[in-house]
Formats: sequence, structure tokens, C-alpha cells
Amino acid sequence: MSYALEAEKLGKAYRVYAKPLRRVGEWLSFGRYKGHHEFWALRGVDLALKPGSSLGLCGANGAGKSTLLKVLAGTTAPTEGRYRVRGRVASLLELGAGFHMDFTGRQNIILNGVMMGFTRRELLAKTPEIIDFAELGSYIDEPVRTYSSGMGLRLGFAIAASVDPEVLIIDEVFAVGDMYFQKKCVDRIYTFKQRNKTIVFCSHSLYDVRQFCDQALWLERGEPRAIGDSVFVTNEYAAFQRQHIGQVAEAVRGEHPPVPGVESMRPEDMPSVLDARIYRLGTDEECYQVQSGDSIELRVWWKNPLPEKHPIQIGIAFMRGDMTTCGGSATHFQKVELKGTQGCLVLKAPNLALLAGQFLIPVVLFDKEGVHRYQDYLMPQNLLVRAYTRDIGLFRLDLSFEQRELAPPAARPRGPAAQGA
Amino acid sequence: MSPALDSTVPGTSGAWVTARPTRAREIAQRLVRLPQLVLANRDLVLTTLRRDLSSRFQGTLFGWAWPVFQPLFLFTVYYFIFTEFFQARMPDLPDSQKAGMGVYMFCGMIAWAALAESLARGTGVIVDNGNLIKKLAFPAELLPLNVVLASLTMMLFSLGIFLLVATFTPVWPHPGWQLLWLPVLLVVQGFFIYGCVLLLSTLQVFLRDTAQIVAMVVTVWMFATPIFWVPELLGERIANYLPLIHANPAFHMAAAWRGTLMGDVTIPLTDAAHPELARVLTPVSIAAIPEHLGMFALWALALYVLGYSFFVLSQRRFADEV
Repeated sequence: MSYALEAEKLGKAYRVYAKPLRRVGEWLSFGRYKGHHEFWALRGVDLALKPGSSLGLCGANGAGKSTLLKVLAGTTAPTEGRYRVRGRVASLLELGAGFHMDFTGRQNIILNGVMMGFTRRELLAKTPEIIDFAELGSYIDEPVRTYSSGMGLRLGFAIAASVDPEVLIIDEVFAVGDMYFQKKCVDRIYTFKQRNKTIVFCSHSLYDVRQFCDQALWLERGEPRAIGDSVFVTNEYAAFQRQHIGQVAEAVRGEHPPVPGVESMRPEDMPSVLDARIYRLGTDEECYQVQSGDSIELRVWWKNPLPEKHPIQIGIAFMRGDMTTCGGSATHFQKVELKGTQGCLVLKAPNLALLAGQFLIPVVLFDKEGVHRYQDYLMPQNLLVRAYTRDIGLFRLDLSFEQRELAPPAARPRGPAAQGA
Repeated sequence: MSPALDSTVPGTSGAWVTARPTRAREIAQRLVRLPQLVLANRDLVLTTLRRDLSSRFQGTLFGWAWPVFQPLFLFTVYYFIFTEFFQARMPDLPDSQKAGMGVYMFCGMIAWAALAESLARGTGVIVDNGNLIKKLAFPAELLPLNVVLASLTMMLFSLGIFLLVATFTPVWPHPGWQLLWLPVLLVVQGFFIYGCVLLLSTLQVFLRDTAQIVAMVVTVWMFATPIFWVPELLGERIANYLPLIHANPAFHMAAAWRGTLMGDVTIPLTDAAHPELARVLTPVSIAAIPEHLGMFALWALALYVLGYSFFVLSQRRFADEV
């Protein structure tokens, strides 16, 4: 099996010189003096992509995604390791790089195209198609400097998309532009995929990575953290990402006003949550990493020294890293009474429908009416849910497809005219 | 599928692209294969050349009249200034040959202008096009080449003016058969300038002071080169500096151009008090061409090899530095 793109231990280091003088010093000493330090933007990347496969890159800003794309596109040389590409490679690292502002769109098609290695003849033949795709109409004969940024992007993509490479390398170029344009780009990239071309693609949209790519590579400070099936890798990355939203814990507090007079209460009289843990449903096995569809239970140990004077309620929620409350319940919703001075409250969650993500679990100790709080308690460990389906959204709904041979229903008497003539 | 990409963009040929430094063998290959590279990318070369030239005059009132007008203006200036106002240096020039000095200077100026303009525009060409280098994989040596071709094209306008003036005015006798050297001289001039620009533009990537230094050096270099003065006329005063003057490649450049353009010209100087004047313009003739051209060609070859090798060796770091 020959691969369309292979990389072995690929790494890229940038040299950083504190002062230009140090570089001169290096030259003059013929390498004996080292005046720079190296910054590894990328290290230890192994890739093997078959023709027709697609690889998505994810990772934070500065994780090395663009560096990897640049190396693979051939604009910068690797510092260690090696790679090879079979067939023609086209890269879309930036739309409209090399546009000449004073030239018309039509002139720029030729100029940009020859930069990508086309011949003039090829470009002249493709020009109508490019103009058509970019939807520039008569603007094509106006100088590019008069274009709106969206028009420039459309032209840039149209030129690049007319390349018919074996390997296509795309940085997040169509994150810009309106929805309509994005859809056109996405459609065009899909056709590449259908024609068995290899795509390496970088995006901050995990959704796009999951949709476009069968494989994904998660880079973290230049080093691969996970590589493999795109669903798995993007889930891992998403979970990691949410873990790092540290301020969330703070934000959980303050959603409910404190019980009036709580400040003057003696500490030993305060109701409080002692501990909270997650177990597999019906077992004593603690677990914080589950798969979508698993069954779990949450146990909350509480105490309330003065149950007669301060009756309490407990609310528990699943909260995503971006502060979306995904679900939850409270004892006063379900008419559960917490009697006595202490106890263990269990929340059972069979067949957990949450999709992949990291979930914070706040436990709130309310007063009798469930309006004011005594305490906000955040479960010390988060719940990590993995999903192995391509479903999107927060929850896995019971969705399934079926095909039937049914004639379209008769038009409604007063329906819109568009309903199939 | 365009054949151009496969040979020029790393990685597309299916061979491993590795981190090892460029080998001497590869440099030698690149040196020899420049014509092939240019041929394979001829559309890119021509399009960027056209872009470069037309963007110079786009939006100006006179457009393409400028490259015609500029040398004409220069010629007129030299003609008047050096034949009418600065007679002191050439007191004994016969009236009929006065124009000779103007022509002599103009010839040198044509060649020098192409060099100086290329150095001024070319030193920053890689840094200024950093965005292209970083975003598009294309043969970057075509950027300096573009500068050289553009200035040689501008030079052709000056040459045209020169030949027109020489043919249709009595200022100077018709150019002779030495004009046949012109194609060779143009190629040599091209390689010479290309070598300089490759060297300096690569240096500029790593050391941004280069452009400042070049700006200064070019001024000094111009006055150190016999463009506006005649070494033979200065006689004894510069005798000590003669080896230095002869070590200057631009001296050979100017001499070769003069020999080619001015042809077989001997100026009959009658004044016996200044016998050295008899040598003024006579060397500017057939006999001198092969000698100066040969020296100039050697310089051009050396600079091309040096500049291109430096470029090829440093090329892999361009995208990181610009």
C-alpha cells in the first residue's frame, strides 16, 4: 500500500536570536558559538495517510497546527524527521496570498494561478469557471482593491479550488466569510474527498473536523497528544479543553442568592455538604469516566444540625464547561424530604444520554423553598463522558433512519405555492 | 497536470523531504539547471515581470512614455552638462567630438543604472515578499530574477534611445559591428546582477542592515567606477590606484558596454601638449571588448555561483525568518 502522505518523526524548530549581533557572532565563529535558542513548534509527528483519507488537526492556538501544515505544504523545511507526498500538492494556507491590489480580478487569477504552478493556458481555460464560482460578475474586471473582503476571499478560494491536486492542505481559511460562502467551500472540499483526494485540514471547529475527516491529530505544544479516529480524538480534545476552563467553578457560585441572615449563623449550625461522589449504578465502584449510555449514580453526604429550624433541599446539575446547564434535578422538584441531622442522598442516572464532554457537577444546598442557598458545593472531580457515535448536540436522542416507499402527500389546500407543483 | 510544480516544489515528487542540509551536489545541480527552471516556470516569470513593469507606470499620466522619456532626459542632461559646462576636464576636445564625452558617460550610465536599480530594489525582494514565501510553495529564486529582468527590460528602452540618437543625429557616428556583442553582454550583465541580488537579498533575510549598507556602498561604488570620469585622463594622479580600479567589476562592465555601443571610434586629438589625451577614447574600441567582456564575464560567473549557492543553502530557513 502506498501512502499519499507520510511523515516520520517530523519536527520543526525556530531559531530565536535575542539580538541580531548574536547571529553575526555565530557566522564569524563558524558555528562554534551558539547565539540562539531553539523553539520547537512541532516535534515527533508520524503520519501515514492513504489516498482518499482525510486528517483533521485540532489543538489550541500555538499548538503547531499551522506549522505542520506549512511543513507539509513545502513552504518551510523540517528541522528533523522527514516527510513525502505523492502527487501534486496544493495548499490553501491563506486565501488571496499574492494578490496584487491594483490589478483586476481577472489579472489576479492569472497571477495567483501561475504562482501555484499553473500555466497561463490552463488558467485562461479555467477563468470562466473561477469567475462563476467566486460569483463576482462584472466586478472581475475591477481592481481587487475595490473588492469587499468577502469578495477577495471568494476569488482566492475559487482560484485555489480550481487546482486539482492529489493532496490538499487547508488551513482554517473559510472560517472567515459568510455562511453561504462557507457552505460553498465545504461543498467543494467534499467533492475533493469524493474523488479520492487526500486532505489535511486544520480547524478550530471540532464539528468540521469530525465531519470532514476520518482521522484526527490533536497537537499540544507541538507534540501529538492523540491521533486516530476523528470522533475519538475530537472527544478527547473537547474533554481536555473543558477541563481547562478553570474559572467555571467560580461562576457556578452566585447563581442563587444566599439565605438571608446566613452570615450571622454559627458555623456549627450551618447545613453543609460533606462529600459527593459518582459510582456505577448499583455498585460501589467509583467512576468519573463513562461512556454515553452508561448508568451511574451520584451520592451526596450532607449534614444539617438543626433540621427543624433550617429545613433543606438539595439540587444537583450537570454543567458543561461553557456554563450550559445540561440537566439536573432537585429534591423539592421531586418532593423528597431530607429528614434528620445527616444522610446520604443518591441521584440515579440510568442510561446517561449525555454526549461527549466534561461535565461539572454543582451540588447546591437550598433552603426549604429552594430559592436561597446555604452552600454551593462543586463535586471535586468532573464527569468525563465519551461518545463513540457521530451524533451531535448535548444529548443522544433516540434517533434512527428508515426509508419507505411513500408518495408525497397531496398539497395542502392553502399551503404555500412552493409545495411541489 | 502541470509539469512545473513537480520539479520545483519540495515533496511533490514522492521523494523524502528531510532535515539534512543541502548538499554540494544539489547546489551544483541547481546552478546548472536555472535555465530549465525558468523555462518550466516561464508563465510565472513572464506574468510577474509584466506585473512588475506595468505596476511601475500604472496610474501615471504618461504611462509607458516614462521609460522612453527618462533615458532621453538623462542623455540630454549629460550631453549638455558634460560637453558645455564641464569643459575644464577636456579642454582640447575638438568641437566635432565634444559630444563624445556625453555619449561616453551615457553608455556607462545605462549599464550602471541597471545594476544600481537592481541592487536598490532587489536587496529587499525576499523579505518584502515574505507573505508569498510563507504561504505559497514556489521557486523563490524567481523573485530576485524578476527584479533583474525588470531592470534589464528598462535598460533595453535606454539602449533603444541610445541607438536611435546615434543613428539619426550627428552626435555620434553609427555604431559598428561591435553591436553584435550586445546579446552576449546582456546575458553577462544579467548573470552579474542576478548574482549580486541573490547574495544581497539572502543576506537581507538574516541581517536587515544589509539594505542600509547597500544604499551607502552603491553611492560610493558609482563614484569609484569610471562612469563620469575617464581614468586615462587623470594620468599620473591615479596611477597608484589603477590596480584597484581594474579590480572593480563595474569598471569592466562600463568598458565592455562602451566598447560595444560606441564601436570603433578613435578621437583624433591634435594637441601635442597633452599626448595622453590621445588614449582617451581610443581604447574604447574593438580591441578592448574581449578583454573587458571576459573579465566582466568571470566576475559574473563568480558572483552567480556565490550568490546562488548562498541562496540555496539558506533557502530552507527563509519562511522562518521573513
